[in-house]
Amino acid sequence: MKTSRRPIDPVELAILRSVFHSIAEEMGAALRRTSFSPNIKERRDYSCAVFDSAGNVIAMGDHMPVHLGSMPMSVRTAIDTLELAPGDVAILNDPYGGGTHLPDITMVMPVHIGNARSPLFYVSSRAHHADVGGCYPGSMGPCREIYQEGVRIPPVRIMQRGQVLKDVMNLVLNNVRTPAEREGDLTAQIGACRIGGDRLRDVVAKYGRPHVQRYTGALLDYSERLMREQLKRLPAGVFRAEDFLDNDGVADEPIAIRAAITLEPRSATARVDFSGSDPQCAGSINAVYAITYSAVYYVFRCLLSEDAPATAGIMRPIEVIAPEGTIVNARPPAAVAGGNVETSQRIVDVLMRALAEAAPARVPAASSGTMNNLTIGGLNPAARGGLPFAYYETTAGGMGARPGADGLSGVHTHMTNSLNTPVEALEYAYPFRVRRYGYRPGSGGNGKFRGGDGLVREIELLTDAQVTLLADRRKRGPYGLAGGEPGAPGRSLLIGKDGNTTELPAKCSIAACKGDRVRIESPGGGGWGDLALSGLSAR
Amino acid sequence: MRIAVDTGGTFTDCVFLRNGRLEVLKLFSTPADPGEAILRAIREIASGGNSGVEIRHGTTVGTNTLLERKGARVAFITTAGFEDTIAIGRQARANLYDWLHTPAPPLVPAELRFGVPERTSAEGEALRTPSDSELSELLARVQASSPDAIAISLLFSFANPAHERAVAERFRDMRIPLSLSHEILPEFREYERASTVVVNAYLAPRMGRYIAGLETRAKAEFRGAELHVMQSSGGIVSAATAAREPVRTVLSGPAGGVVGAFHVARLAGFTRVIAFDMGGTSTDVSLVDARGPTTTNEALVSGLPISVPTLDIHTVGAGGGSLARFDAAGALRVGPQSAGADPGPICYGRGTQPTVTDANLVLGRLDPRHFLGGRVELDLARAQHYMDAARGTLPDLPGFAAGVVRLAEATMEKAIRVISVERGHDPRDFTLVAFGGAGPLHACALARSLRIPRVLVPQMPGALSALGILISDTVMDYSKTVMLTGAGADLEPHFGELESRARREFASEGLTGVAIRSLDIRYVGQGYELNVPAGRTALQNFHAAHQKRYGYADPRRPVEIVNLRVRMAAAAESVRFRKSAIRKGNARQAIAAEVRVHFGAKAARAPLYQREQLRPGDMFAGPAIVAEYSATTVLPPNCRARVDAFGNMVIDVS
Repeated sequence: MKTSRRPIDPVELAILRSVFHSIAEEMGAALRRTSFSPNIKERRDYSCAVFDSAGNVIAMGDHMPVHLGSMPMSVRTAIDTLELAPGDVAILNDPYGGGTHLPDITMVMPVHIGNARSPLFYVSSRAHHADVGGCYPGSMGPCREIYQEGVRIPPVRIMQRGQVLKDVMNLVLNNVRTPAEREGDLTAQIGACRIGGDRLRDVVAKYGRPHVQRYTGALLDYSERLMREQLKRLPAGVFRAEDFLDNDGVADEPIAIRAAITLEPRSATARVDFSGSDPQCAGSINAVYAITYSAVYYVFRCLLSEDAPATAGIMRPIEVIAPEGTIVNARPPAAVAGGNVETSQRIVDVLMRALAEAAPARVPAASSGTMNNLTIGGLNPAARGGLPFAYYETTAGGMGARPGADGLSGVHTHMTNSLNTPVEALEYAYPFRVRRYGYRPGSGGNGKFRGGDGLVREIELLTDAQVTLLADRRKRGPYGLAGGEPGAPGRSLLIGKDGNTTELPAKCSIAACKGDRVRIESPGGGGWGDLALSGLSAR
Repeated sequence: MRIAVDTGGTFTDCVFLRNGRLEVLKLFSTPADPGEAILRAIREIASGGNSGVEIRHGTTVGTNTLLERKGARVAFITTAGFEDTIAIGRQARANLYDWLHTPAPPLVPAELRFGVPERTSAEGEALRTPSDSELSELLARVQASSPDAIAISLLFSFANPAHERAVAERFRDMRIPLSLSHEILPEFREYERASTVVVNAYLAPRMGRYIAGLETRAKAEFRGAELHVMQSSGGIVSAATAAREPVRTVLSGPAGGVVGAFHVARLAGFTRVIAFDMGGTSTDVSLVDARGPTTTNEALVSGLPISVPTLDIHTVGAGGGSLARFDAAGALRVGPQSAGADPGPICYGRGTQPTVTDANLVLGRLDPRHFLGGRVELDLARAQHYMDAARGTLPDLPGFAAGVVRLAEATMEKAIRVISVERGHDPRDFTLVAFGGAGPLHACALARSLRIPRVLVPQMPGALSALGILISDTVMDYSKTVMLTGAGADLEPHFGELESRARREFASEGLTGVAIRSLDIRYVGQGYELNVPAGRTALQNFHAAHQKRYGYADPRRPVEIVNLRVRMAAAAESVRFRKSAIRKGNARQAIAAEVRVHFGAKAARAPLYQREQLRPGDMFAGPAIVAEYSATTVLPPNCRARVDAFGNMVIDVS
């Protein structure tokens, strides 16, 4: 890129920042508008982003935090593997090739200006698909190998010179349970990319190519400066922490994640080293590197005192080391479905625990640290049509107490922010009756500031069904900070028609009967500050 | 005599017809008792105890009560086991990357949430009915909490309201406002319904007192006076209904603005409109296509879902008072913080941080001596001084000020893109109607960057909302969730029930209305609905609407009829707008001065026109500034304005 001696204009910079961000948001709006499945439309589990010619992310919509650092890796892999020509779109979901877990399918499209041979930008859309095949409906079950988890797509073209490649599309659709819905969602993703491409061409026409290129670079530098300004204000040192996942659902052994964060304010850099974390496991909670990188990105972005554009510049001063073959950088053929939803949360917990020592006034205690993924599948009773159903939901928990404020109760934290399904919508759509949905009093950890309370959600089955649970924080509650107590661990109960109550393991799949109730009690957040020192009495 | 009164933070605007001519009266508001300014205005307009005054009111009492969280102590009663749903909401957080953010607490604290041991199924079957002693015990607990108002929203009350009615019966004797979910919003989705009902209860005591007080005073002074209130839906209701269901009036004033914008644009020959109302702290934008203003059932006000029909207005927290500053890495930012009324912009004499208004002043786009008809003198030197100190690395003051204006406009542009491009509309098909104090300052630049071909600045940009209120029809909306699968379902009994209630309520106010039926339909398995007119072609229309809005349709896929809707409307007596004769002119008579104005970084000399002196048929070109009592219009170079027969300025920006 040509450099100019003229200084960067802070107004032009702000304008281009706003323009790129609005393009990512507009792609997201188009995807939400044109996709079919509730997972994208209602739960909003998707992201859209814009990249420069070298594949650096320059704008991302405010959608899903877990996609922050992982989406650029998909784009990187796509452009390293395929030489994308005008009108081409790449598709991929392979966690071992730029993806996160199989349900997240990413599309990447180059944006060429005029007759240029190489693209000036890339745009990308990612969505969590309700099913991508494999052993279990919903593709989130307790597998042992990635081959059981669903169809695995390396970067391939799904569109060439503006035409969808039917053979590739059919190959994907033949391997999933609800092909019509998948086709609608995949088409919507391609449409979102096209909208991004069109708008980028407008922007170049309006501002001129040299100007846009210059300020694309300036935007990356600017985000880097925002991060460095923050890093300069943190103390020097090595800050270490560890935390555990309860188990992998196969062996009942805790799994450790360890991190050492080295802060160097003089050079305004940070290094995050996960050496010493446990080896990858037999169950499905392995995280690939992209997820670990996203968790680091998320935590450092939250540390910034200003809202910052989610660009590659933010991560320039930060190095991430995750040894291969560990729980934070798994190798094939490990199963990974839960890495995205459970392990990602624990990585955040470890990083925050380490940073709490460096910036005690900025970092909250641990939040619930599990999404309590619940899948219920079976056949509707004859009176409801007898067709198969599959339902997936997550239950939020307590937020960790903040230095200066209690944690919020019953809210999604960190790597997710999907919405609940209304009780009245649920009971129309599925053979369930919700018996209780409310806060779980007293589950938040005590402290000068209290952790938020978890939730209780109890669902009665009106027909026999297979119940699959992928949860954590059932043994160790979310930690407190500065003397605050931990939040209460979560519980999952099966309450039989006869009133017999069984506690379910964190990760399991069981055959339940009509009249049984599944009760999820999500963990409370950790407390902050020593109650005794604060002069308050226990509440 | 019909008088529309729109109460704002600073001014109370009145629009009325005198001898077939529209007239405007502007008074300072009396925030401590908004009714005071209203009565003063009516005295002035209907001098001499004129009988038969119909007052139509756009009120901010509801909005302000909500924004300031100064409403009633509400007891919330729901199905036992679900007391917290009102606080949990959708279990998502508002700020993704801010650990320390704390949202406003829910309107109902934990100690005011009560559960009834009862349950109704989705099909309306009573699974568990509360016993007499359970209801007595509930009553005792609620009474002990001494609430000012009660909100009742039981699960599936819309499928069978028996339990909700039985509970409500027990509370009649408390003689405090009761808000019942099967009456206010008989639709599914328990959180959004409960939120709507709770907001209603939260506003009811205060709005009830305000409206009753105003009506009594008006009737005492003006024999036969009637009071009507503007709803967020863009329709008028009686004072009694507004007092009972104040949740329907929360966006009363802004709704008037949209109706007014649509009306003046349509008279001027333009049916597709983007209404752009920019004020001191916020900006409202709304899109109106050929079918009229669009309503939504998913409004969010002050973080609270309100699901009664509301005009689809998108609000961004940016306006003339938005603050400009440089961030830690050297980029300029404008907003979201605002100087507000106190300290206000630098040029008002107290603030020291640059705002968008200061930038406009420094650029010569506001006339310091004629702001608000000269009532307020803007301190240019002060603005120059503090802005110069805040310009950071930028080489000069005009460059800084122009940057602030451009960034504010970038925020506005985003807001307009959200309601147009993101919903599948092409801005090139629309006319931008600019109003509010700051709208016409930025409209031409905005139109250009969005490729909107023209801007319309109405004859009374400061009173457009009052105008909209004056001409609105009386409207009541009724709905019910039915959740019926397939095409064969018999809807007639359901519609019949809604319509007989509608006719009864209209008749009690001496009105006869026309019922318009519509259906909310979706494909089975979807989580969102589309509204289409009821009738034999409803399903066909649904597939077509789905195709248009979402880009595809599948007529073989089974559908669900989710909600039935009836809109009962009684047309307002029509208001004739006087058309003046067009006589070609060059507007020279309106030039008051020549001023130096910056467009971007370049300065140019431009005439300053007095809007009041412009005549229908006048044509003139930019660069120019047009000043009037409550607004200033900026015409950049190469824009051409003409004054139409209604006194609107129509500006061609292409």
